[in-house]
Amino acid sequence: MESFIVRYRNLVVLLALLMAQLVGLAVQVRRTAGGPSVLNDADPRGVRLIRLWANALISPPERLIHASKIGVAAAWSNYIDLVHVRRQNEDLENTVDRLRLEEAALLEDARQGQRLQAMLGFQQRYIYATLAAQVYGSSGSDRSHDFYIDKGWRDGLKPDMAVITAEGIVGKVRDVFPHTAQVLAVNDTTSGAGVILETTRIRGVLRGDASGQLEVVGVTADQRIQPGEHVLTAGGDLIFPRGLPVGVVKKVVRDPDRDGLVDIILTPAAPLDRLDEVLVITSTEPRFPPQDEKDLAASATEENAVPAAIKDQVKASEIMAEKLPGLIDPNLPPDQQPLNDNSNPNPAPQPPQPLHPDEFSPSANDDSNTGPAPNSKPQTTPRRNP
Amino acid sequence: MSLLGAESRREIEIHRYPLLVYTLVLLGSLVLQAWLPRVVGRFDWFDLPLVAIVYFALGRRNPLQGTLMGAAMGLFEDALSHHAIGINGIAKTTVGFLAGSVGIRIDVDNHTIRVLLNVALSLLSSAIYLFVARFLLGLAVEWSGLTELLRAMGNGVIALVLFPLLDRLQIRD
Repeated sequence: MESFIVRYRNLVVLLALLMAQLVGLAVQVRRTAGGPSVLNDADPRGVRLIRLWANALISPPERLIHASKIGVAAAWSNYIDLVHVRRQNEDLENTVDRLRLEEAALLEDARQGQRLQAMLGFQQRYIYATLAAQVYGSSGSDRSHDFYIDKGWRDGLKPDMAVITAEGIVGKVRDVFPHTAQVLAVNDTTSGAGVILETTRIRGVLRGDASGQLEVVGVTADQRIQPGEHVLTAGGDLIFPRGLPVGVVKKVVRDPDRDGLVDIILTPAAPLDRLDEVLVITSTEPRFPPQDEKDLAASATEENAVPAAIKDQVKASEIMAEKLPGLIDPNLPPDQQPLNDNSNPNPAPQPPQPLHPDEFSPSANDDSNTGPAPNSKPQTTPRRNP
Repeated sequence: MSLLGAESRREIEIHRYPLLVYTLVLLGSLVLQAWLPRVVGRFDWFDLPLVAIVYFALGRRNPLQGTLMGAAMGLFEDALSHHAIGINGIAKTTVGFLAGSVGIRIDVDNHTIRVLLNVALSLLSSAIYLFVARFLLGLAVEWSGLTELLRAMGNGVIALVLFPLLDRLQIRD
């Protein structure tokens, strides 16, 4: 037996390693009813340990290379490639001024929107707390569209947090390590997110295909779906808040597996192939940044100050009314009221007497007030021809 | 190609390298494989760990070392992805074993043969990956034959450049 093992040592080791890996795979995969197998939601302990080792081994040199690349790029852009910088700076300052104004207006709109939604009892998830992170590496395989960021659970990251950029959604946090985290991109075949077409309001599920293209699958064929339409998150997946940009419809193709359904191919809003910095949504509690909170508090104080000032003015007018002589004195009979006092040095001018009195003349009104005399004929106003 | 007795060729032409070279090349291939796709975008038609495994397994002419090296590299590759750990492991283990076994029988100093072997073993690795993922495990893996062919060609081009450079790091008697 011993000589057999020694003689076929290479083959025995090969078979042992293959068998061990097959057994390892068997515990990671589970069958679904009628469909293809899927990976278990949670990694077994041993698998998690291997991922942790691999991450600990690969991440430091990878981050070092990434930092070197950033350093070289920064040196180039900050000290060498400075053509047109002054002009760009002026343009940017103008843009910042304009954006400040827009931000103030939008902040007020957002506040108003919140109030209205609270009144309607509408459950809305907002993005209020994000954490910026650098993308430093990938899985290294085009079969697996995921990447690594330089923030981990020590920074407050948890699995299933949404990852976005200013342009649109990017993915969700999958595995979290102490200082790093793995993000599953939205263009991976195993990814999924609820989306809605902006104008047609057609809903679907977003995922990636084998070549890493974004597609909305299983949508009922509809003539209204046209290239160029924007696609947003629907908010029903409990990962991405609703209303975030996903992409633009590139083309509509027939679903190869199901009749009557189409797949919508998208151009992603975020540059999924070349990500440098991303934002992780760490909280969806309704909360503004500290500066905005301060601005809102100041605004609320000013709003409260206006009614208080009006109240003060009313009080002052009442005091003045008490101190100044009024036109109506409740203690005097009607014929002795100051209103009928003709001693006013600046009496209100009386309107002149009309040359041709009609029904609108003050005298006519007086007549109408007193009522026409019995047996009197109604006055007729002569009509003028135009 | 000239065929010699296995034992005599192994004694004559085993390539030896400092431990630091093994460590740096294998680790470097894993790190660059994870980092470079961010630079080249979707044109990541290469598998640097596989190129490194084939190079060392061919040079060492030792199936056992090739098998262990392939298993370790494949498992690390799997661990960096979100897929099940072991699919790449099985593919790379088999490739390492085959490269070590073939290395006993061929002239490993011939660049053309090494490059062609690299392309062939890349295609084999892709085929094993697909077989394990789709047929053994029943996972819904989408697959593009053109991409696998391009990856094999990319590995061949990298081997053409990298193998002569790595040959310079050999320990010469």
